[in-house]
Amino acid sequence: MIQTAGNMKTYKKKIKAALKNRFLRKALDNFASAYKMSRAKAFEGTNLDILKDQITDGKDQALAQLLILFDQFKAGAEAAGAIVHLAATAQEANEIITKIGRDNGVKTIVKSKSMTAEETHLNDHLETEGFKVTETDLGEWIIQLRSEGPSHMVMPAIHLSRQQVGTLFSDVTKTPVDLEDIDHMVKVARKELRPVFLDADMGISGANLAIAETGTLGIISNEGNARLTTTLPRVHVALVGLEKLVPDLSAALRIIWVLPKNATGQAMTSYVTWITGAVECAASATGKKILHIVFLDNGRLELAKNPVFSEALRCIRCGACSNVCPVYGKVGGHTLGHVYIGAIGLILTYFYHGKDKARAIVRNCLNCQACKSVCPVNIDLPFLIKKVFGNILEDEGVRPAKNIILSAVMKNRRLFHAMLRMAATLQKPLVKKDAGVLRHLPFIFGKAHDFRTLPPLAEKPFRDLWPKIRPQIQTPRFRVALFGGCVVDFVSPEQAVSLVRLLAGHEVQMEYPMGQNCCGLPAMMMAEEKTATDVAVQNLEALEPWRYDYILVLCASCGSHMKEGYSRLLAKKPEQVEKLRMLHDKLMDFSSFMVNVLKVTPKDFIQNQTRVAYHSPCHLCRGLNITREPRELLKTAGLEYAPCKDEDVCCGFGGSYSLEFPEISSEILRQKLNHVEATGADVLVTDCPGCVLQLRGGMDKKNSRIKVRHIAEIVADNLKNG
Amino acid sequence: MEQNELIDLMKEKAGLVQAVVLTVTGMEEVLRYSVDITLRQNGKTIVAPDVGTKDMQKLEKLCGVSGLTILHPPLRSHLSGIHTALTSADRAIAETGTLVLDSGSEDVRIATMLSETHIAWIPAGRIVPDTASLSAFLIGKMKSLPGYLAFITGPSRTADIERVLAIGVHGPQELHILIMEGT
Ligand code: SF4
Ligand code: SF4
Repeated sequence: MIQTAGNMKTYKKKIKAALKNRFLRKALDNFASAYKMSRAKAFEGTNLDILKDQITDGKDQALAQLLILFDQFKAGAEAAGAIVHLAATAQEANEIITKIGRDNGVKTIVKSKSMTAEETHLNDHLETEGFKVTETDLGEWIIQLRSEGPSHMVMPAIHLSRQQVGTLFSDVTKTPVDLEDIDHMVKVARKELRPVFLDADMGISGANLAIAETGTLGIISNEGNARLTTTLPRVHVALVGLEKLVPDLSAALRIIWVLPKNATGQAMTSYVTWITGAVECAASATGKKILHIVFLDNGRLELAKNPVFSEALRCIRCGACSNVCPVYGKVGGHTLGHVYIGAIGLILTYFYHGKDKARAIVRNCLNCQACKSVCPVNIDLPFLIKKVFGNILEDEGVRPAKNIILSAVMKNRRLFHAMLRMAATLQKPLVKKDAGVLRHLPFIFGKAHDFRTLPPLAEKPFRDLWPKIRPQIQTPRFRVALFGGCVVDFVSPEQAVSLVRLLAGHEVQMEYPMGQNCCGLPAMMMAEEKTATDVAVQNLEALEPWRYDYILVLCASCGSHMKEGYSRLLAKKPEQVEKLRMLHDKLMDFSSFMVNVLKVTPKDFIQNQTRVAYHSPCHLCRGLNITREPRELLKTAGLEYAPCKDEDVCCGFGGSYSLEFPEISSEILRQKLNHVEATGADVLVTDCPGCVLQLRGGMDKKNSRIKVRHIAEIVADNLKNG
Repeated sequence: MEQNELIDLMKEKAGLVQAVVLTVTGMEEVLRYSVDITLRQNGKTIVAPDVGTKDMQKLEKLCGVSGLTILHPPLRSHLSGIHTALTSADRAIAETGTLVLDSGSEDVRIATMLSETHIAWIPAGRIVPDTASLSAFLIGKMKSLPGYLAFITGPSRTADIERVLAIGVHGPQELHILIMEGT
């Protein structure tokens, strides 16, 4: 049985246990690396964005008319001899299938892989009803023998080692199995399962697609078990989620073309089976296959109407959102999901299995956007995850105290800033002189937080330094406003000071609008949407975008939230539309401004060729799609850029994530730092003050010689006339 | 794409997924190849559910001298004893090295699923560059009711244990594609 934690306390225990599993981590890590390469190779020469948009549009159109497509499918399939059912709930689907079994005198059942059957817990139901059910997909068979759920939607047994599988097989077959020889284990499965296929009265499959136009099911598989399941027994039942309906063949072919490539980097699965109606079958009394197709609603029709969440139904179950998820990579699918796993699992669990199962797992997201960037159907997974979190808080009617406090404080900028100033004074006894770190963490943090040191709040925030350093340019080439963000302003003002130094000599009139508040992302992360909206409006008012040519950010997270998040939050505020459009047109990250607008050249910098590694912040490379400029700027500024493994993988910070899940955050950080150390670089550069905080704290904790700098700082240091 | 380019692409892509691809001159060679492979693999039986009467006579002769048995339809009665399955393929998709087989006949399904080695022949003229160029053909097939259509890309495989690729888990352990040139 699948055990999913219903509260944070149990969940934390589960996380700790998962983190101790070294095999799991290594397996997932190897897979993540291999996956990225094979996916890139599989899509070589393809304009993936266009294709993704096509599939997305097709899916959205289908979702808007599921019942029409269902009727059309039913007409086609029944004309071809199938019987088509629609089950409102999981229970109903299971009962329909039980009845089909009973009516046809079925005793034994073979199953090919179906996430939908996992969703309804079909096996448990059928076994209670007295049927003998055997999973035939190798991975599914293994986990069935172990009585556990899948840990990945495509590779259900990825959490197990060959030794574990070998031992299991030798127990089951009562014959010794060579624990190293995977080929042999596969042959054991072939041998054991063949007679089961031959004896089975009924085969149950899922389907990847249901083509309305012709009433055809499309099923993909690599092993061939789906073909045997649908061919040998006299009865075939296909259990299909309603969202698998597509209007026509071309929509189906597009999905078939993308799915295996995005799932594992495979160009095409070994088998794609297209079944239209009841074909000949000598095992059946009528000479025709007894074919039942059971469509499952289980909340899908409702979900399809939901303006925010309907896009979750686009999912084609490729599993890619797990493959690239740094959290998945550390704890695996049994800890990051219920039946459905990874990013999409955090969302669907709430809808298909209820809030108790979703409550704890849904918090376990860094908002790193990696899942979103590989999703072939453009689901905004991190956003929906936060939305589910918000829904659960709402359902339960209790907001955690920290949410209430954060909201109250953040909405009131003066109060917020006054509190930060007060904290800066109070922390004084804790600050290690000259080291720029807190001597020990405030008592509210436990031992788990000790994986990094934390910087103190700055003695003077940037907003207090600003009046003294504000440049006065007579005839400026550009007028720019800096949006600092909380960390730059109150923790790392030196990053903004570096920007001021860099702008000197370029005739740029910079301003620091004093009414600016936190960008609001932390509120979003805690699902405090109302607060996030208030703050967004405050910032638009304060920034007065019409006054400037550019609005610069030193923090990628602020920038990406102001671009994407604000559009969503302010969608229903027509009075903000024009200001927002201006903000979007003018918002620019630091590196892009230096490279594309000021067009700095190597002549401006001392070419000391310091060896630097680069960490690409999630919200810069995926949020704002900026990848070229920072690397180019490093080279222009006289630095030697040393490429590093997984540069674009999250550092584990995730704002409040690292406070809520320090165990996972520190694991992700540890790996990141190891990769950086392997480059032999002297400095690690990044362009997000949050990442700087995490990375610097981590390096400091391990007494590494590698310095961590914001890109603005290191570039300013190399200025010739600085 | 020219026919020879399609053949080359088909060879390359099917080869990448562990299929054996050869060009042959005609049915004679296909039959002889099937018998040779079966003998080489110590197989005892061949099924050939969709070869014509004349070719079947030739195959019977070849098998007769080599001591192989031809199992005749209905194949339901031979579920456990099929070594080699010889079938035609209706189309091939070069881009992915895929065969397309109308498998409406139960004998074709059993042959291609339960054999140890599947040998499929296809006239070169039936290779198309990509899936999209096959739409009309597929729709036609799906509309002729009922139907069971198979895309086959390489032999059966799994990577379910430690992601290590292993061939031949439930379906054929080998797939041989014989392209008949000039047809
Ligand atoms: S945003 Fe990042 S952490 Fe969250 S689910 Fe997606 S990949 Fe995982
Ligand atoms: S959400 Fe997107 S990436 Fe994740 S399984 Fe579904 S289709 Fe694949």
